[in-house]
This record gives sequence, C-alpha cells and structure tokens, in this order.
Amino acid sequence: MIDSLVGLAILFPIITGLIWLLIENHKARSGVIYVTAAVLIISSIFFLRQGSLPIEYSPPPRWEWVILVANYAILAFFIFAAVKDIVQRGVSRHNILTIALTVAAGIPLAVFEFAQAPHTPLEVAPTLYIDHLSVIMCLIISIIGSLICIYAIRYMRDHEEHRIHLGELKVTTQPRFFFFMLIFLGAMNGLVFSNSLIWLAFFWEVTTLACWGLIRHDEEPQHIDNAFRALWMCLIGSVGFGLAIVLLWNSPLNTISLAEVVSNGALASPFLLLPFALLCLAGFTKAAQLPVQSWLLGAMVAPTPVSALLHSSTMVNAGVYLVLRIAPGFQGTNLSTLIAIYGGAVFLFTAIIAISQSEGKRVLAYSTIGNLGLIILCAGINTPLSIAVGIMLLIFHAISKGLLFLCAGAIEHHIWSRNIEDMEGIARKLPILTGITIAAMLSMLVAPFGVLITKWGAMEAASGIGAWSTLVLVLLMLGSGATTVFWAKWIGRFLCQSPMPGRAKREPLIPLYHGILLILIAFAVVFSILIAPVYNSVIAPSLTEAGYNAALAFSTGTGFLKSPVGIFAAWPIFIIITLALLIPTLTTRAKPEESRSSYMCGENVELGVDEFVAVADERTELKTGGFYIENTLGEGNLNRFVVPTGIVLLVILFVLAVI
Amino acid sequence: MSTGWLIGSAVIAVIVAPLIGGLLRGIDRKLTAHMQGRIGPPIIQPFYDIIKLFGKKPMVAGGAQLAFAYAFIALIVTAVVFFALRQDLLVVLFILFFGSLCLPIGALSVKSPYSQFGGHRELLQFLAYEPILLLAAIPIALKTGGFPIANIFEHGQPLLPDLWITFIALLIVLAIVMRKSPFDISGSEHAHQELVRGVVTEYSGPYLALIELGHWYEMVLLLSILGLFWVVGGLWWLSIIIALGSWFIMLFVDNINARLTWSWMLKFAWGAGVSLVALNILFINLGWM
Repeated sequence: MIDSLVGLAILFPIITGLIWLLIENHKARSGVIYVTAAVLIISSIFFLRQGSLPIEYSPPPRWEWVILVANYAILAFFIFAAVKDIVQRGVSRHNILTIALTVAAGIPLAVFEFAQAPHTPLEVAPTLYIDHLSVIMCLIISIIGSLICIYAIRYMRDHEEHRIHLGELKVTTQPRFFFFMLIFLGAMNGLVFSNSLIWLAFFWEVTTLACWGLIRHDEEPQHIDNAFRALWMCLIGSVGFGLAIVLLWNSPLNTISLAEVVSNGALASPFLLLPFALLCLAGFTKAAQLPVQSWLLGAMVAPTPVSALLHSSTMVNAGVYLVLRIAPGFQGTNLSTLIAIYGGAVFLFTAIIAISQSEGKRVLAYSTIGNLGLIILCAGINTPLSIAVGIMLLIFHAISKGLLFLCAGAIEHHIWSRNIEDMEGIARKLPILTGITIAAMLSMLVAPFGVLITKWGAMEAASGIGAWSTLVLVLLMLGSGATTVFWAKWIGRFLCQSPMPGRAKREPLIPLYHGILLILIAFAVVFSILIAPVYNSVIAPSLTEAGYNAALAFSTGTGFLKSPVGIFAAWPIFIIITLALLIPTLTTRAKPEESRSSYMCGENVELGVDEFVAVADERTELKTGGFYIENTLGEGNLNRFVVPTGIVLLVILFVLAVI
Repeated sequence: MSTGWLIGSAVIAVIVAPLIGGLLRGIDRKLTAHMQGRIGPPIIQPFYDIIKLFGKKPMVAGGAQLAFAYAFIALIVTAVVFFALRQDLLVVLFILFFGSLCLPIGALSVKSPYSQFGGHRELLQFLAYEPILLLAAIPIALKTGGFPIANIFEHGQPLLPDLWITFIALLIVLAIVMRKSPFDISGSEHAHQELVRGVVTEYSGPYLALIELGHWYEMVLLLSILGLFWVVGGLWWLSIIIALGSWFIMLFVDNINARLTWSWMLKFAWGAGVSLVALNILFINLGWM
C-alpha cells in the first residue's frame, strides 16, 4: 500500500510530465492534467487517512542508483545549459556563476559519495520518513499545486494566443511548460518525504531545475537572465547542502539521516551547529530570503501560474519546510535566536519595500518573501506555540497566495497589464474577479482569516521569551503595520471609480478561472473557521512527532484557539465580522438619484464624466493615482541598506555556528 | 466575573460609549473655543449635529463608499463589545484596526483628489500608530501573565507604576487616533485648507454621521485602554481620571501645535513611540520593572 502511494505521489506526476512531451492532441493533454490532479489529490488524502503515521519506508536499493545517476545528470545539465548560453549570448555574470556554483555544489557531494561513504550508493534506513509535517506539505503540494496546473490549461492557451497575436511565438511550447510543472509537483512530494539527505539533495536539485525551466519559458533575453539568476542563487544553497552532508558524515554522529540528526540536537552535540547553519542557508536561498530575494522577483517574468506554483505550493515552501523540519535540532541555541531576528528583519524590510512597488506581481512577491520570513521567525523562536504558528502560516499562506497569483493572472488576461495603476476601478468591469481578489487580500490581512490568526499567534509566541525577544517583537509589529498599508492601498485602486449611469454588468464566467478561484477562496474561509479542528488533526500531531510538547502550543476548547497566554474565539469572530461586512455590502445600494460627482470645487462637468472645467472653460480629465513613496521607500534607495543587512546577519549566523 | 454580567456590560458599553464620546467632543469644542478666546457651541452640539446629519438626504460619490462606512462603525462596535467581554487584547486591537482601515479604503474608492489625498494620509497615520498600539499590548501581557483583558482585572495591582513608559507612548497613539495636531494630517477640522476635509471629503449626510459615531466609539475605546492602567485596587476611579486626564492633554497639545508633515509623524511615532514601548518590554524582560 505505502509503496504504491509513494509511487503515485512522486513518480506519477513525473511520468505524466514525460507523457506531455510525447502526445500532441490538446484534449488528450488536458485530460492528462485532470487525471494527474485527481491522482495526486486522492493519494495525498490517503496519506492523511493512513492511521499509522509516521511511516518509515525504504524503496528497493536499485532506486539509490537512479537517484545517484540522476543527481549528477542534473548538475551536468546545469553546466551544459550555462555553456550553451555562453556560446549563444556571450559570457555574463549569471552563466559564469552558474558553472562555478554547480561545480562547487558537486564536489562535496562527489567527495562524500565516492571517497568517504563505505559503499556507493549509500543506503540510509529509512530512506523516506513520512510524518504529519510531510503529509501537510504533501496536501498543500498536491491539492493547491494541482489546482494551479488545471488553471494553467486555460491560462497557457490565452497566453500563447496573445503571444502569437503579437508575433512573438510560432509553435506551441506548452509541452515543455507542463513537463516542468508536473515534475515540480513530483519532486516536491519526494522532497518532503525524504529522510536520506542524499535523496533530499536530489529532489532539491530537481525543483531548482524545474524552476529554471519555468522562469525561462518564454525565452526572451530577460527571461533567460532571470532563470540563470534563480539557478545560481539556489545553487548557493546546494553548496551549503553538500557541505552539510560531508560535515555530518564526518561528525561523531556519522549519519546522513535527517531524523537522526535532528533528534540529537545541537544543544547536546554542538558540532551540529555548523551543519544546521548550512542547511538553514540552503533553506533561506530557496525561500528567497535576504540577500538573494532578487531571484524570486526576477521570476515574476514567467507566466503567472508559475508564480502561483512557486509561491504557494512548491519551491519557496521547500525552503521554509527544511527550516521548520530542523528547528527542533537547534532549539535553545543562539543560532535559533539569530534566525528569529533574521526572519523578523526580512518580514519588516520586504513589507516596507512592497509599499513602493507599482507592479502587482512584485507586491505579491515581496509579500511572499515577508511571510516566509515570518515563518522563519517562528522557527527561530522555537517554542511549541511558535512552531505551531509557523506550520499554520505555511498552510494559510499557501492557500491565499496561490489564490492571489491566480487572481492576478486572470485580471492580467482581461486588462493585459500587471500595473496596479491600470487596475483603477476595474471593480466595475470585472466585479466577480475583483470581489474574489479583494476577499483574497483581506484573507492575508485582517481578522478573522487564518493569516491574521497566525500573526496573533506569532506575537503571543514572541512575547516573554527573553530580552532578545524585544527586538523580534519590534520587527514583527512594524512589519505588520507596513503590510496593512500596501494591501489597503491596492484594494483602494480596485475600487476607485466615479458613479456611472446604469448598472454594472458581470463579466462572463470562465470555469477554469473563476471555478478554481472560488474553490481556493472557499478553502481560505473554511480553514479559518475550522482552525481548531485543523490544528488538532494535523498540526498538534506534527508537533509531538518533532519532539515539542503540543500541550504548550494551543488548546482548543469549544472550537476556540487558546494559546498559553491568550484566546482567539475563531468562529464567533468569523461569524460576527462576516455579518458586519456582508450585510451592508449586500444590502446597501445607492439609488441612481443619490449619485453625485466627487467634490471638485464646483467645477465638475456632469455626472458620470471624469472631467472638470479648467481655465477658459476647457474640459480637463480628472485623474487620480496611487501612492508609492518611491523616492524614499523604493528598491533603489532601500536595497543599498537591506541587502548588506541580510549579508551581515547571515555572516553573524555562521560566526555563531562556528564558535 | 459571570457571563451574564459580562454580556450586560457589553450591552451597556455599546449604548453608553457614544454618549460619552459625543459629550467629550462637545466639551472639546467648548474648551478649544475658550483657549482661542471664543465662546463656542453648547456642549451637546455634537448630538444636534449628528441628528441633523442623519436626517439629510443621502448622497454617494463612489461605488463601495457606503459599504465601508457601515463596516467602519460595525467593526469598531465589535471591538468595543470584545473589549467589554474582556477578550484577548490583541484580538480587540486587530478588530479595531480592521475597522479603522475601512475609513481610508472607503475614501480611496471615490475618484476624488481630496478624498484620495486624505485616504493616503490616513494610511500613513495608521502605519504610524498601529505598531505602537500592538507593541503596547506586550508589556501589559508580560505583567499580567497573558493577553486577555480579564487578566488585568485579576492582576490585583495597577499597571501604571511599572508601565508608565508604555503609557506615554500610548498618548502619542491617542493624539493620532483623535486626529489632533500635530498629527491631524489626514483631515483637518477646518475645510478651507489644501486637504478640504481629507479622508471624509466625499462623505455627507447619514454616512458622515455614521463615521462621526464610529470615531466616538473609537475614542472611548482608546481612552478605556488607557484607563486599564489603573483599573484595580481601592482607587479604581483613578482609571477614569487617567483616561480623562490623557484626553485633556490632547486638547492642550492640539491647541499649541500646528499640523506637521507625514514623514515627521512617521519618524516620531516609529522613533519615539516604538522605542518607548520597546524599552519598557526590555526592562520587564530584564527584571528591572
């Protein structure tokens, strides 16, 4: 049973990805996506229904050889791709660094596997270790990831039609696109199941490969550059991964089993600090934390379903998953303290920079980096409560951010722009889509939604755990304020409109857009209301498995969420606030005769015309705009400070790990 | 405290808060007038004003404006109810923030330069005070062993002696939330300025009345939070003195200051306000307070 489930979760999407490269018929190919989605979703639910978590499972030894060969094949492919790029487009920083870092990542791995390991390939018992945390990840990957793939069927059709229309494209490149999308899902499932660090490193590389393939999909020079940037930045993490494996093997523990390493803990075995710091580095680069946040921003050039996938269910989640996974190992150390401060700094800086961004997808990207910083902050605080909050945020962020990117993509395909200024007043043209988008933004922002519940939890977790928590709290509160501003002003742009005669018409419903969006918003609502049962059924067990005392995290009497220091009456708040918002929204409609033009000192032209009368009775257009405070808070200004801060914090992290 | 008693106090709070808020507004106008050498309107003028506003013909200048006027007051009243039920202080604040956000979002949903201007500035005000207010919950929780407001009542000791630094920071918040000079950047009392009426420019009649009412609730809630600093012991009435005293300081500061720029406000709030609370947290963590 378990071997077939593992096979379905990891291998099935990889096989269907390969099938995509072979078959031509469009209907059949869409069918393949639906089947893959169904299989992934069902198998992930079966994992949850397995009574006997955690599961230890080692596939037959021949798979070790497959992993070994495939791992070096991927590294060789990276070098091949970079060399090809040098030949085609000349030497650049990106392709040179790709080659250098691929070699640097390959060397420690090869030293370990061929020189140090007693036999090649080395088997680790168990190769796969599937506990509740893995299953939570598997559910996120399989359900949200699959929904994004289904949405992409329609999106890529529109996307290619548009590009053919512009003359940028002649033959469809969808097979390559869906090949990478599908193997991404399989590799992520493999990554969260792996206990052998060799397997983990392999799946880590596959996700890097898939990410590279998806970012460069449209093959404009900018896309190719950004893909290589993502590649080499993620390879920094791979170098760290390789070094960590060598160090762990040569340490007194003499193991590369993740569970064994984590259960030993750096407090008892200080030699584990450096490997943990290296693994965190790998996690940080994957999660696009400072100072390598630019790869995720560059990835915005890719088609929007790619962004949705990278930000919600794959790639960056692998980074924070790894940090949460190894968090019990560095509990109680200074390393943990610094990780909390680092996460807080990322949360604050990205929230401030996001205020200055006028491109919608970049705002979303900064918000992702910030929320991942918040998860890392929770991992660093490292109490049962904070880890529970971190896992919750991982779930809620995946739902809301996947949804927001899909909304952004659907809006983009109506207005053919990603600029927030072009979204002024689209609530009138696309009422349903805008309504869902605003709901999704509110789900990131305000009570009673899950993301806010996790902010509440993080604040309560960070209070009273030592003098250093003061700094973490300040970063957290300031970041929280800045977050509110960039969401609220964006919502304002959607709604900004003058009263027009006549009723607004609803946009035509597109099943693969609106349907998927409605499913995801339903998830955001249902999970927020049912946060207490969700906590009990999956999060509390994963805390216990990681060695935390779940009784010190949350208790859930009467469906409320009680932390040791506070209480969140989740469902009553949900009902009250929903009524407070929905009743006026649905019942109040201004009558046509109540409509007035906005105040222009009496110089308006007439109702429904956005013009005013200027000098010599000339009619002048009335324009409004958003605010971005670009001069003060823009990337150009702040990155000079933010990037060095990120580097300094990482250096301190390693200094702490070494001494 | 029995559940029935708590629910009773929530009902009383919802009824009494606007009466207190309106009265304070009236006294505010009277005192301000006296400070400026004028006689000023009768003390219950704000009630006359609001009744008149409710009677006016509704007018709307943008699609979503109405919903946000209702949501503004509904959410702030919800926050007052949760406060009276002695819930988690952070939760009360989060609901209050959501309510406060409805005001700028409502302003931004009208295509009007003045309203947009005010909405943007309102968001910056929000950015200035939200972190201080959230952070202020931390020292209270550290002292009383948890975030529920009920804890403060069970604590047995007044908070002010240990948390006076936080209290000073909260006075900055109070000035911003009451839109008093030097922090009245999102809308001014006097319409003949570059802002016109800023964030409420496009609200009129009954909808303006709703917003005014919401402001009364908001002010009373904030004053109640200040009152929490001396709410137990034999001298419980000191909490009322403290709340009213803070309110009076605001009037005084308002009258001796001019409106300042948003960047000054943000620097002052994040610099002085946040540092003060952070210092207090640090002192508690180090066992000095």
